Amino acid sequence: MTAVTADHHVPTAPSQHGPFRRYVFGAGWIRAAWMFCLFGGIGFGLTVLARWGGGWHPILYTQPIVLLSLLVAAPIGFLAGLGTFDYWTYYALGHPTRAEDHSGHGARSWRDYFRVNTDHKVIGVQYLVTTVIFFLIGGMLAMLVRAELARPGTQFFDTQTYNGLFSVHASLMIFLFVIPAFAGLANFAVPLMLGAADMAFPRLNALSFWLLPIAGVMMVSSFFIPDGAFACGWTGYAPLCSSHQPLGAVFFNQGVQWAGASSIMTALNFLVTIITMRAPGMTFWRMPLLVWANFTTSLLVVIATPFIAGSQFFSMFDHVMHTAFFDPGNGGYALGYQHIFWFYSHPAVYIMMLPGFGIMSEVIAVFSRKPIFGYRLMALSLMAIVVLGFSVWAHHMFVSGMATWLRVPMMVTTLLIAIPTGIKIFSWLATIWNGKLHFNTPFLFALGFLSMFVIGGLSGVMLGAVPIDIHVSDTYFIVAHIHYVLFGGSVFTIFAGMYYWFPKMTGRMYSETLGKLHFWLTFVAFNCTFFPMHLIGVEGMPRRVADYAPRFAAWNMFISLSSFALGASVLVFLYNMITSWRHGEIAPSNPWRAMTLEWQVSSPPPTFNFTEIPQVVGGPYEYGVPGAVHAILTPSHATEVPAEVGV
Amino acid sequence: MLGLGTLMGGIAAAVALLFPWLPKPASDEAGRIDFVFWFAVVICIVIFAIVSAALIYAVINFRARPDDDSDGPPTHGHTKLEVVWTVIPTMLVISIGIVSAIVLGQNDATGKDFMRVNVTAQQFAWSFQYPDGKNMTSGTLRVPVGRSILLTFTSKDVIHSFWVPEWGQKQDTVPGIHPTLHITPNKVGRFPVICTELCGLGHATMRTWAIVMPRAAFDKWLKGTSAAQTSTNTAVSGAAIFKSQPCGSCHTLQAAGTTGKVGPDLDKLPSYAQQAKQPLDSFVSDSITDPNAYTQPGYPKNVMPPFNLPKPQLDALVQYLIQSSKKG
Repeated sequence: MTAVTADHHVPTAPSQHGPFRRYVFGAGWIRAAWMFCLFGGIGFGLTVLARWGGGWHPILYTQPIVLLSLLVAAPIGFLAGLGTFDYWTYYALGHPTRAEDHSGHGARSWRDYFRVNTDHKVIGVQYLVTTVIFFLIGGMLAMLVRAELARPGTQFFDTQTYNGLFSVHASLMIFLFVIPAFAGLANFAVPLMLGAADMAFPRLNALSFWLLPIAGVMMVSSFFIPDGAFACGWTGYAPLCSSHQPLGAVFFNQGVQWAGASSIMTALNFLVTIITMRAPGMTFWRMPLLVWANFTTSLLVVIATPFIAGSQFFSMFDHVMHTAFFDPGNGGYALGYQHIFWFYSHPAVYIMMLPGFGIMSEVIAVFSRKPIFGYRLMALSLMAIVVLGFSVWAHHMFVSGMATWLRVPMMVTTLLIAIPTGIKIFSWLATIWNGKLHFNTPFLFALGFLSMFVIGGLSGVMLGAVPIDIHVSDTYFIVAHIHYVLFGGSVFTIFAGMYYWFPKMTGRMYSETLGKLHFWLTFVAFNCTFFPMHLIGVEGMPRRVADYAPRFAAWNMFISLSSFALGASVLVFLYNMITSWRHGEIAPSNPWRAMTLEWQVSSPPPTFNFTEIPQVVGGPYEYGVPGAVHAILTPSHATEVPAEVGV
Repeated sequence: MLGLGTLMGGIAAAVALLFPWLPKPASDEAGRIDFVFWFAVVICIVIFAIVSAALIYAVINFRARPDDDSDGPPTHGHTKLEVVWTVIPTMLVISIGIVSAIVLGQNDATGKDFMRVNVTAQQFAWSFQYPDGKNMTSGTLRVPVGRSILLTFTSKDVIHSFWVPEWGQKQDTVPGIHPTLHITPNKVGRFPVICTELCGLGHATMRTWAIVMPRAAFDKWLKGTSAAQTSTNTAVSGAAIFKSQPCGSCHTLQAAGTTGKVGPDLDKLPSYAQQAKQPLDSFVSDSITDPNAYTQPGYPKNVMPPFNLPKPQLDALVQYLIQSSKKG
């Protein structure tokens, strides 16, 4: 911070040179391309040198070379070339840092979305567009899986490819869609809701975003390497993944690292922003529940994500360097992987759900025109989930062969965690009760979420009971449960959030008719796809199989057809988003008559959000309270039209 | 509201009753698991009925008219109500927990009189060893009805999972540790054994049968087969060895009636040997003892584990494969 002020007289460095040098050496895609190759080359050279020096034969061994050159060094080169490290590099090298001229802040044309941009609103949109792209790829993979499963026997894919399809599907949906889509929505909304000009660390925010496409491209590209993609499921259980898989497994190990680093950085950023950058008067008990949700989620991310990083490092070491962390033949402990993995991946379930709870609280209060019922209990139940969330991981391991005494305590905590979740459901119902309900698309998705999440939550309670879990674990009942939680839960809230903030992000309204069509198609096709999976699972169909007993053929055909309809419903969403972004009706600053701060500025908001810092004077959901206001703003910005309309 | 609740509860109950949910239990343990399942389902249906009825009632009755811009009543909470919906679900989940813990204890209790079977899992086959039958092994799991069985698991490579849906119980087999599973079969019949933990290419086809026999028939089988296995060492039949080993779960061989597709088709051995430019008998023999030295193009490498059979058995198996494949 101190360095910024010292050198206002220094012009931006590259302008001292000719246009060609600026073109090649200035931060951007050209530099990213050659630095990608350069760093890849350095990684290659170092690996070969080390192998030659150590006398390890063959010197040109594919696994370590691909890992160090393509999966570690080259992405760092790409990030450096794009300019994510420029400021810090200058600072670290003792160069005079450039005065912040805010040239990298805000979007004036579509090109600004392809740069290292430090504006939280631009980053939010970058996140959402990127994650939707990976959602589409992940969805396509799911369609391929369903095509194979439409009939018993194997029709389209060999088993290695099939196992790769569902593994990459799950990894993309979890690490490249649900988690970062929430990060994107929060990136856009949280600073605005707090009355802040931006996130606490805008450059770190930009870096967090750019780590994400690296992780996604890594996971998808594993299909194109010899012997195919990683094929051990998104859980990557050792020792199958750590010593019985082709090179693709390392793409998973590394992809998770990049996505995880992105998560941790964003979470730290949210924590610091929420703790230190609240507008005057914005006490913790006046924060919108979306902010509460992201505060609690960030706690989970910061504490838990290093565990999955550890699990993937160990697994990768076993694979590439032939260590034996999880190889019992050489003194390793196979179940150790699962304990470390689930110590992250169970909290990750809440990382994928709490931000959605936050979105629901916003949407339900606004479209019911009522204050959130039991605001404080809603916030406290989020904290309860964070604490309890760390004590339930082994309920994924009831049949794993772990210490048998561990099962009952883990069952008790698992059943208890249903209580704060139940409180939230009942409080939302009470918020809707007696309200003035407006059935806009975000609210439809919120109601869809409520009904579907109840089913997912109840099947979760059943899974918490050890004897039931023993019967159904690793069957399609599990597949049904996680899709009710992650699709009926998380994805419905992401859709609700995208429709809800679409006017604020783009300055245009989406088509309500198409939005409603999207909802109904999704709702019906979703239930037809995933509900029957409960049934075939309980009856005895295991998960992760390309081939199955003929008696499940009829249901599987029905599920596959429904899943194609579900896939088609996404096209309606895409069409609506794209056409509305280009030609939609111009949005007013507050189309939903909401009280939270983001709706008190223009749509889209000015580059620095607020011309004057708002003064918060009351709660965020005081609908129906005569004369209640959440915050006092100088009225001028609500009418200000910024330059970035018409992207 | 009450009517809606009954309607939604009725619909959910109909879904629960009309479809054949759980497989017919064929063990004492599965019967108890079924009880916990239905105990939890009833509670879930009641909660689902309440929530969905409230939701539908609200959607119908609290819809704002298009021109209505007014707000709802500013209710901020209701402490008694909040206590009610914290305490009642707590009691419900605790009751599920207590029932589960009791059933878990009963299902794990073997009693004093039980029979041991050692189960070995490997990519992609099961084998079952009987300490009571001179350690004879079998590719199918045969057990007597009405007797406590304690399965002890060993995995040779990765994690697999043993499940017979009709028995309810399930256990992962983990390399390096030897977990156990207790089953008391109570129905005579033939049930599928399924691997439920992704274990690699042949995961979907890693199956065999559990055959539950009347006690007398089981004792006769155990005696007869164990005697046969220990005495035929001199005059080994290649076909019997092929059957006792897990070859068929990955390989097709018409003569043995196997249809596995994970590994190369054994009916084409002569042409494979030609492609590899090796004499047929040493090619077949090496492919069993050191399968990863050469892999037929088009099939994944490093999947098949090496099999170290005693010399006479290996020779018999090689001859059997050569003769069968030449016929095919």
